[in-house]
Amino acid sequence: MFSRKSSLLLSAALAAALPAAGLQAQEVKLARLIDSNSYDPHKTTATAAAEVLFMIADTLVAIDSDMKTLHPGLAKSWDISEDGLTYTFHLRDDVTFCDGKKMTAADVAFSFNRWIDPEVKSPVAWRAGQVDAITAIDDTTLEYKLKAPFSELLYQLTQNFAVVIDKETVDRLGPDFGVAGFNGTGPFCWGEWLPRDRFTMTRNPNYTWGPEIYENTGPAKVEKITWSIIPEANTITAALMTGQIDATNYAPHISLDQFETMPGFVVSPSDSARYTYFVGFKLDKPTVSDLAVRQAMNYAFDRVALVEDQFYGKVLPAYSYIATDTLDWSADVEKVLIQNYDIDKAKALLDEAGWSVGSDGIREKDGVKLKPVLYSLSGVWPNIIQALQAELLKVGIDLELNVFDPTVGWGKLATQEFDMFTMAYPYVSAGDAMNLYFRSGNTPAPNRTNWKDAETDAWLAAGSAALSDAERAENFGKVLYKVHEAVNWLPLYHAPIIIVQSDKLKPMTAHPIYGAAYYKGLGIEPAQ
Amino acid sequence: MTDATAGTVAQTTTPPQRRSWWRRLLRDRAAVLALVVLALIFAAAALAPWIAPYDPYASSRKVMLPPAWAARGTMEHLLGTDPQGRDILSRLLYGTRLTLLIGLSSILIGGMFGSFLGLLAAFYGRLDPWIMRVSDVLLSLPAILLGLALVAAMGQGIMPVVLALIISTIPDCARIARGIAMGIMKQEFIEAGRALGLPDRQLFVRYLLRNAISSILIFLSLRFGQLILIAASLSFLGLGARPPVAELGMMAAQGRDFFLFAPHIAVIPSVLILIIVLAANIAGDALRDVLDPRLQT
Repeated sequence: MFSRKSSLLLSAALAAALPAAGLQAQEVKLARLIDSNSYDPHKTTATAAAEVLFMIADTLVAIDSDMKTLHPGLAKSWDISEDGLTYTFHLRDDVTFCDGKKMTAADVAFSFNRWIDPEVKSPVAWRAGQVDAITAIDDTTLEYKLKAPFSELLYQLTQNFAVVIDKETVDRLGPDFGVAGFNGTGPFCWGEWLPRDRFTMTRNPNYTWGPEIYENTGPAKVEKITWSIIPEANTITAALMTGQIDATNYAPHISLDQFETMPGFVVSPSDSARYTYFVGFKLDKPTVSDLAVRQAMNYAFDRVALVEDQFYGKVLPAYSYIATDTLDWSADVEKVLIQNYDIDKAKALLDEAGWSVGSDGIREKDGVKLKPVLYSLSGVWPNIIQALQAELLKVGIDLELNVFDPTVGWGKLATQEFDMFTMAYPYVSAGDAMNLYFRSGNTPAPNRTNWKDAETDAWLAAGSAALSDAERAENFGKVLYKVHEAVNWLPLYHAPIIIVQSDKLKPMTAHPIYGAAYYKGLGIEPAQ
Repeated sequence: MTDATAGTVAQTTTPPQRRSWWRRLLRDRAAVLALVVLALIFAAAALAPWIAPYDPYASSRKVMLPPAWAARGTMEHLLGTDPQGRDILSRLLYGTRLTLLIGLSSILIGGMFGSFLGLLAAFYGRLDPWIMRVSDVLLSLPAILLGLALVAAMGQGIMPVVLALIISTIPDCARIARGIAMGIMKQEFIEAGRALGLPDRQLFVRYLLRNAISSILIFLSLRFGQLILIAASLSFLGLGARPPVAELGMMAAQGRDFFLFAPHIAVIPSVLILIIVLAANIAGDALRDVLDPRLQT
């Protein structure tokens, strides 16, 4: 039996011992809102999968947090032929998989060929370019042959779809690969996945081949990382405050000011934002097919107010479809951006175009009421689109909101039933973004605006096939100019990735790639 | 002559205490309080367009102001503002209006159909198994699930919610009405009426319905609170009114995201739901105590 005094002493001793024990165990707990459906790099496009894949596997090419500078990854160096059709990658010879097996060019060739295999039906196969053949010349040389030049290739190869995986594990697990197990060359190894609950990964002790953007290129400084799924932003905030988790990049914007001033916490946003939120227009619908209507909406919605009132100034107001520090952004486009909030201008545009205010305060023209239907998803959107609805009502536009749960919403968003929609997307470069949303072949989704333009298609093809950086930038710049001039979207905001962490960990730099804030996870280390 | 006979029969079944039922009700302090609160809430909801200080849909840059009594609160917005900068008091008045309207319309329609079916089942014994089996099937469907299914079929809006509430009220009410009616059917005055050769319609309306109606109304007043709660739950789940329409459950759901930092946005509408449901239950309970002849000793 403990006496009262001794039990008090015991708890004091425990309290003193706990922080030290926490550091020794070196387990770091991260939290996020949603899980992925799979961790097979070729079968999912989820941000949640990217977060894990970058840590348990490696890419040939690594990218800096400016999202422009490339660094060697598994490939020490690479050569590109004059015609831009053949990429030769020279691989490191000291890389092993988590199971100890040596990684060779054959593994890379297998991974890439699986990525583009029609039988795998990867939703991201197009990101590999028009491949002719990918072959291992010897153990450390990989030849990537294209049918047409693909100027974006190296950037695409930095993404989580292009990680190297082990053939034997893929064959052994079959459809369970990335679900029941995995075998990669990353700084961490697959531990255990309990879907919609948690994912654990353990340190790969042999890892020494991390990209040079990190001070520590391996092995990782922590033994174990647990990713918990906490589907409520409020609960994430509370878990962080009470020390149940060590870091998250999903703290709600409303909590950031408080974390900045609270002792024991560090808030670090990524330098650049590569995640843009926007409202798109279906260009062939009777109301929003009118350019004046789309321009008026852009004038009528105060993006600065949105950012200050809904996001406490923690995101950037957007007037362009990609952040203006993105690779291949063209300064010319700034001439056609609608950057000022001007209600009178919006009203004047609508008046000129013949949309006159009816008896109920809603505009109409030739018997058509200006009542566009907007489809959106639950989550962050309801607050944003209600603000938009209220603002547009002031100029006589009656926006009808339909909010769907994501389980049915994605299907609804691939139809032609609506006039406007909301969307958010991560991107690497201008070419990445423009190819995704404005190629006529991509209708009805992801090209949901029904933008079908031969000139755009030609420029996109020319930009992708460009042999020089300048040529690529010029072509994508033309696309950017044209789609902005035509007001395809109402851009809302660019969201940087913001990590909120306990100061028991060294301050980290948030990486904007595909929303995977910790990138390789090599920056996660105890403060002492 | 038949009319006079029927009148006498009905009178003899009425207990003498009934005339002073409201006196006994007034002696129950909790019930009086509940009735006063309900009356105030109904009045405020009915008068919403005239007493609301602001347009409930007009957004402003003054977002998430706390209520007047908190630090940083202003008298301009007594209950503060929501994330769109809309006045919470005004939205609350309009929201209550809609919530009560949903509750009342579904209780009236559902109660009407339900009691008619229940009485019918008791009156015509051969219909009884059919009506009761159908109501058993309906009873097995939870209102929330029904609401989800209807919204999936009809799209988001108030109609599917009202429909779900009506459908879920019918079987409950039919069961209760049938139980009450079975008791009445065993009374001698029914046999007397039959012996006098009254037509079914007259027996049904004057003998059965008139005697059963007070008990059914009491049940419905108790059920009203539950319906408000289910309606609020459905719109909390995003199945009810479409934004920007104000509805209490939806307002609570909107405040959920800001709960740690601006709890008033979720708490105020939730407390109002609590008050309405509690008052409706207490009032219904008290009415049953004073009106239900079976509870009188």
